[in-house]
Amino acid sequence: MSMVVVGLISYLLPLTSYLLTSCTSIECSINSLVRTRYQFTNSAGDSISLQDTLTVVTTRKDGTQTVIFSSDSIIYNKGVGTCKFHLPISHSHPEDELVFHFIGDSIHLTDTLWVEKEDYPHFESVDCNASYFHKLTSIRHTHNCLDSVVIVNPSVTNDDQVVHVNIYPKIGN
Amino acid sequence: MTIKSYMSTFIRRSAISLLLLVVATGAHAQLKFFTVEKDSIPLFRGFAVSFDLVGAGLLALSDYGQYEAALRVNLHDEWFPIVEAGLGKANYDDEVTLLHYKTSAPYFKIGIDKNMLKDKHGPNRLYLGLRYGFTSYKIDISRPVYQDPVWQWDTNYTVNDAACKYHWAEIVLGVDAKIFGSLHLGWSVRYKQRLSHSEDGEWGKPWYVPGFGTYDTKLGGTFNVIIDI
Repeated sequence: MSMVVVGLISYLLPLTSYLLTSCTSIECSINSLVRTRYQFTNSAGDSISLQDTLTVVTTRKDGTQTVIFSSDSIIYNKGVGTCKFHLPISHSHPEDELVFHFIGDSIHLTDTLWVEKEDYPHFESVDCNASYFHKLTSIRHTHNCLDSVVIVNPSVTNDDQVVHVNIYPKIGN
Repeated sequence: MTIKSYMSTFIRRSAISLLLLVVATGAHAQLKFFTVEKDSIPLFRGFAVSFDLVGAGLLALSDYGQYEAALRVNLHDEWFPIVEAGLGKANYDDEVTLLHYKTSAPYFKIGIDKNMLKDKHGPNRLYLGLRYGFTSYKIDISRPVYQDPVWQWDTNYTVNDAACKYHWAEIVLGVDAKIFGSLHLGWSVRYKQRLSHSEDGEWGKPWYVPGFGTYDTKLGGTFNVIIDI
């Protein structure tokens, strides 16, 4: 009987080693991008399409201005008919400065948004890239083309479908 | 349903079925399962201490593992209440994501095994048992400073002393063979199930839990050196 048990132990040695080493997997979120979603809205609360061409730029650390690109096909370099759009959000800077360029047939207006936020490191696994989640705390802006800007959902995560900010343009834009 | 969740469901159902097969073959059988055989052998048969070599080996050869010891009470060579305690550690650097994960904390498990062999008083045993495990631990996660891809600000990614708690259960199937004198060697294979967990803050979920293993671990094992005392 002792030999049987010892034999069983010997049999279980490679089996257990296999079980211990074979059950690992990498499970990162399908969408690892953390972006802010903006929506142009009328006073009734309905989403509207912008008639002007929209370009969004920001000021980087070195002072240079760069056009912000969304990761999908809508690019905020001369975006036309914009209704809802994503913009990147800085990982750990307390305030992002976004300059909106509204370009029509005969006009070129700009408005600047200062987006204040709190940043939280987000961890899923050592196999998944480091990312930050954010909580929008306030947005200041100029009023050349924009009537108001309202945070409707302050929590910015990797959920791509949530609208975080409603932008109310002045009538006629 | 993904293959992994299907397998997880299959394993969980198999484990539950195995337990039901053992304990639910009729009321009479259940009563018999939970009673102690009446013979001339006394109820209290002594203590045994054991040390796990798999966890220590993992710790020596990889980035995480545990030192674990156990104290087992022998009741009539049939029932074995057991307390297991250990120190689980992880100190991991990922070469691709550059993330560093560090934790070190004690953990505790309490449970009971039943000797399933017909010859209860023989030199060898086949165990079926249950465990409840608990640990309270802190995690450090960091990454070297990197540049924000759009704004180019230097970015620190750190989570320091994040407090966590973790509760889990284990179904244990193990063997124990007497080698000589009071020395035994044994194996156990364990199916683990998280019961509850909590993390302070909004940073996410842990990757390695002391005593449990990686967060979504389902299977584990031990190789024990056991000494009767």
